[in-house]
Amino acid sequence: MADAQIEQRPWRHRAGLGTGLALVLATALAAAPEDGPKPEAPRDPDVGRAYRVPYRLTATNHFLVRLRVNGKGPFNFLVDTGAPAIFVSTEAAKKAGLKADPEAFWTTVGRLDVEGGAVLRDVKVRVEDPYQLVGMNALGLPGASIDGLLGFTALARFRIELDPTKDRMTWTRLAFNPPDPPAPRRNPGARPPAELQAMNALGGVAKFAAVLIGRQPEDVLLPRGSLGMELDDAANGVRVARVLPGSPAAKAGVRDGDQLVRVNGRPVGSAKEARKAAASVRPGDVVGLSLRGAGDQAERSCDVTAGEGF
Amino acid sequence: MNVTPTNPRGPRGVEVVPELSLTRLSRPRKAWGRLSWIGFGLALALVSTPPAVGAPPAPTGAPPAAPKAEEKKPAVVPFELLASNHMVVRARVNGAGPFRLIFDLGAPITLLSPKASELSGVIKKGSARPMLFGARGEERVRSLKVGELTATDLPVVVMDHPTLRVLGGLLGRPLDGIIGFTFFARYKTTIDYAAREMTFEPVEFELPDLLKDLPARLAGPKVARRLVLAPGALFGLAVAEAADNPGAGVSVSAVAPGSPAEAAGLKPGDLLTTLDGRWTTSVTDAYAAAATLAPGHPVEAVVVRDGKERSLTVTPVEGF
Repeated sequence: MADAQIEQRPWRHRAGLGTGLALVLATALAAAPEDGPKPEAPRDPDVGRAYRVPYRLTATNHFLVRLRVNGKGPFNFLVDTGAPAIFVSTEAAKKAGLKADPEAFWTTVGRLDVEGGAVLRDVKVRVEDPYQLVGMNALGLPGASIDGLLGFTALARFRIELDPTKDRMTWTRLAFNPPDPPAPRRNPGARPPAELQAMNALGGVAKFAAVLIGRQPEDVLLPRGSLGMELDDAANGVRVARVLPGSPAAKAGVRDGDQLVRVNGRPVGSAKEARKAAASVRPGDVVGLSLRGAGDQAERSCDVTAGEGF
Repeated sequence: MNVTPTNPRGPRGVEVVPELSLTRLSRPRKAWGRLSWIGFGLALALVSTPPAVGAPPAPTGAPPAAPKAEEKKPAVVPFELLASNHMVVRARVNGAGPFRLIFDLGAPITLLSPKASELSGVIKKGSARPMLFGARGEERVRSLKVGELTATDLPVVVMDHPTLRVLGGLLGRPLDGIIGFTFFARYKTTIDYAAREMTFEPVEFELPDLLKDLPARLAGPKVARRLVLAPGALFGLAVAEAADNPGAGVSVSAVAPGSPAEAAGLKPGDLLTTLDGRWTTSVTDAYAAAATLAPGHPVEAVVVRDGKERSLTVTPVEGF
């Protein structure tokens, strides 16, 4: 019965727990109920469509997806069922040209594109810097500045399938549109309860800690170099199926039909092994190949200077 | 737990990111591994306190959080949607309960209140001195049963979480904890808000260990890792940053004659915006996308040419 009563007061007590979303909770407390749920938007033609959404798992075990806000971006958003709505950092909002009306609590975004193809139109977001974003960004997670939180009002529109062993989630559009977030009753600037202020202070602690231990450096991501050879698996090992004309391999004298015996001294028994043996080659690196021509008994070596491309 | 990434190490101290591992790009670093914002305060407490209290036991041999595939078929777990739009599941912990736990994709840890922990025998009454926010460090739950699903040997953080307390108070019913990453990463998890149920299918996924690497990380050098993004197949394509279109895509700088890219109709000057559903907003992005692809599988390449978007199908081949 208690549940039933609670259900009748939607949006009364809006809260976030996700990444320790105390500030969200504080925000939520300012939210006031509206007169019943709003009528649902017309049926979305995307209902039933499944999207394969690439994600990234941070060192802190948070799931990040990329979004474009009104075509600008991409921005990194935390997938957070503990957040009641969509939160966009002030910096990301600025980059996206999103003008937050100082009088209005929520800002409407015309178009939100999720990497993988899902699109949300005319969604309400809160432009704000929840402390956990400030704190996490201060620590400098590798390659992942976080620009916002993707909470209930976005996620509930999809059936979300998350397999940590796969590199993408599957989001299937449901015929369910969560009600728009309500306007706040109180001044958004009202002070949250003391405990929440204490939690919020953690953002500051994180920044302080970041000063002490140093910001974690960003990973340097480098493209691999390319030789321009197509390989296949033959009975006697790896065969150069084709050398792309004008490629580094062609210039170095690798020929179609050559058997590839070693890459940088490492014997290769399959095309996949050969690719792995060259996995850290950078453009400009010289790669030593041991080859045997069709019908030849002797091996010959061939030094190929890797080029750019893939 | 062996924290050394399985990736082969290339010359010059460069780590290689093999295909299909991009989602774990940042994982081997484990700098603040599994440090949540809940856990963050806890971590500070652990760091500033002698490890005698609350520190997780030193791992001996086998990884403590090895995946446990207890159930073979998908398990259905109904949830209640709170007025605050949080999902709540009823769970039996070590046979006690039921307890009301929030299911939270944004929570990196699983958390149990001190009271529920005492009732379920996870901790003995007054067994440990509470630290910041009443946190007592990591404990282990023998069994956690939700719906048809039982997870065994689950690490939990025992903590009196203020937000949880406030939320429980507002809703008029106490909340006993949070189910987070350490639980759901054992499964393929499907959440259906419309049906108000979740399904779980066990998967083999190795969980990193909570807080274990923190002291080493604090003491260790802060050197940026160099990671090579190795494409999983050969396209015959070179790309460059699109100076006039930052963030929109990469410029195709060369297409090798006779290559899969040429066969697909890619042309120099094209703006490549998407490869197999992944945005290629930078050269790094394009390599990251290519690193997830395998030879012989056709994928969509979206390019903008003469202001018009075109969808092309390219089938990369084995090679490099």
